[in-house]
Amino acid sequence: MAEGTSQEFNISNVIDEELIALDLDVSSKEEMLTRLTDLLEEQGKLNDRKSFFDDVLWREEQGPTGIGMGVAIPHGKSSGVNQTALAIGTSKNPIEWESLEDEAVTVVILFAVTDGDSNVLHIKLLQHVAMLLAHESFAEKLHAVKTPAEMLALLESSPDDYDD
Amino acid sequence: MKLVGVCACTSGIAHTYMAKEKLVKAAQSLGHEIHVETQGTIGVEDELTPEEIAEADAVILAVDIKIDHSRFEGKRVMEVPTSVVLKASKQIINKIEESLNA
Repeated sequence: MAEGTSQEFNISNVIDEELIALDLDVSSKEEMLTRLTDLLEEQGKLNDRKSFFDDVLWREEQGPTGIGMGVAIPHGKSSGVNQTALAIGTSKNPIEWESLEDEAVTVVILFAVTDGDSNVLHIKLLQHVAMLLAHESFAEKLHAVKTPAEMLALLESSPDDYDD
Repeated sequence: MKLVGVCACTSGIAHTYMAKEKLVKAAQSLGHEIHVETQGTIGVEDELTPEEIAEADAVILAVDIKIDHSRFEGKRVMEVPTSVVLKASKQIINKIEESLNA
């Protein structure tokens, strides 16, 4: 991985198959955020669902989290988060989402970040995902993912694997 | 040319690091040298050294929040939101090069 040989630098610290939901039948941003928040709650990542959800919506008001290429990265840094984590949902239907190019999204990666003095390893793993998302060829692969295991494998790749 | 940059976004979680990756890859592919500092939720990383700043032909600030500009006084500075870097990193670098050559 990008950060060298450390065993600990593994995406499994922030996401596992239970936090990935593919081909959801959702049609709105709120529905998608609700489903992903459900996953985080079920996996014990939240201690206050409402406060987390409100913080995500607050961030949405600060500026678009759609990053183009049919992908959105809503995020909440919140006291409602127990443990920093990611939840990923893909949608069968294009969802309207504020983005740089005003295009609908079908892949949503929700970042849930603890408030205050966060675990550096966790934040580094989120950085790793953000760096991957800077590459269009990575985003294309995201859309082609068929199983949660494939999604995890893709997240384990290095930003340097993509030459665009 | 030699460039330095600073990236900082609203929450300091995602856009900061996407913007850095975009800038670094764009500069490399266009044959320029670049150092990029990030100011995120875990603080400053890859902090620019006074030497890097002194040697830089230009400064790119990809920021959605107010940051301290005093280190860059007297330098050619281009300030844009992170979203512009995400969309058009190569164009930004080419524009800086054109303006330096003008």
